[in-house]
Amino acid sequence: MNQHIILITGANGYLGRAIARAFLDESQDNVVWLGVHRRREHADELAAANPNRCRVILLDVTRPESWQSAVKEISAAHQRLDVLVNNAGTHDDAFLVQMKPESWREVLAVNLDGIFHGCRAVLPAMISQHGGRIINIASLSALLAPAGQTNYAAAKGGVVSLTQSLAKEVARIGITVNAICPGYLETEMLVNMDDAARQRALAQIPMRRFGKPEEVAVAVRFLACAGAAYITGSVLKIDGGIF
Amino acid sequence: MSNPVEIKAHIKRMLVENLMLQINPEEIGDDQPLFGPGSLGLDSVDALQLVVALDKNHGLKITDPEAARGILQTVNTIVHAIVSSNPDS
Repeated sequence: MNQHIILITGANGYLGRAIARAFLDESQDNVVWLGVHRRREHADELAAANPNRCRVILLDVTRPESWQSAVKEISAAHQRLDVLVNNAGTHDDAFLVQMKPESWREVLAVNLDGIFHGCRAVLPAMISQHGGRIINIASLSALLAPAGQTNYAAAKGGVVSLTQSLAKEVARIGITVNAICPGYLETEMLVNMDDAARQRALAQIPMRRFGKPEEVAVAVRFLACAGAAYITGSVLKIDGGIF
Repeated sequence: MSNPVEIKAHIKRMLVENLMLQINPEEIGDDQPLFGPGSLGLDSVDALQLVVALDKNHGLKITDPEAARGILQTVNTIVHAIVSSNPDS
């Protein structure tokens, strides 16, 4: 059996679930751990529908000890960890002069610190097994840096740089580190947008439609596959042609 | 594993296997430098793998770069660090 163990953070959300389903559909041998924090109802449903292949694990990405505990539990169950998808994210948009320091700190903590803690937690296992895949979900905001998103754009820009730097550190060990920059997706962020804002967003997209979470999930699955072993430090934008 | 001779042999095997060195373990000198001139020719990525392997196999936690520089000088300095970290073994 060629079992692959995958951990996905932010797995209660649209994108996290789509990524999980992509791995579950790919192979019966894939075992997916769904990292959840404040909410877990959708992840629980997915796990219940895929007994023995999908498990929910509590994981506050901002706390190193939470990561250590999660990785310890996964390692105890499987003695390995093949893929980490750092997908957990949050945003709290405001112009900088009106942005509360707490908002800055929270967005940086989840989107950037969380990835640092996650990579630090899983790398010993991946180094020991001489291989692994880390896929960081950044954002098109990392590249476009839109107004009103200094916290989010800074965090996601940091994710891109972290990805490229870490990729060089661990390339020789057989561990790849890549980032994906989605544009507008049909996820929680878009659902909460009013009609006027949706129309303005659509007007920016050459394809004139929003992306589906599944269209990002397929890229995550690709970057995790054996054939993608030579791809590392890459930043893949999936945005309908915006940038 | 508590015998320093056994630990030494294991460290040499670990160096060859984990870092894919193209030599036999017996060819590594006890006091041969691991890094720098006249050494085994290891680099920082090798050091990273070594730190993880020493923690996994011998419970030796090397928490900062300064400590790593002191411990990862030779096979003997590694063995000394392992034995010192497990005084009851």
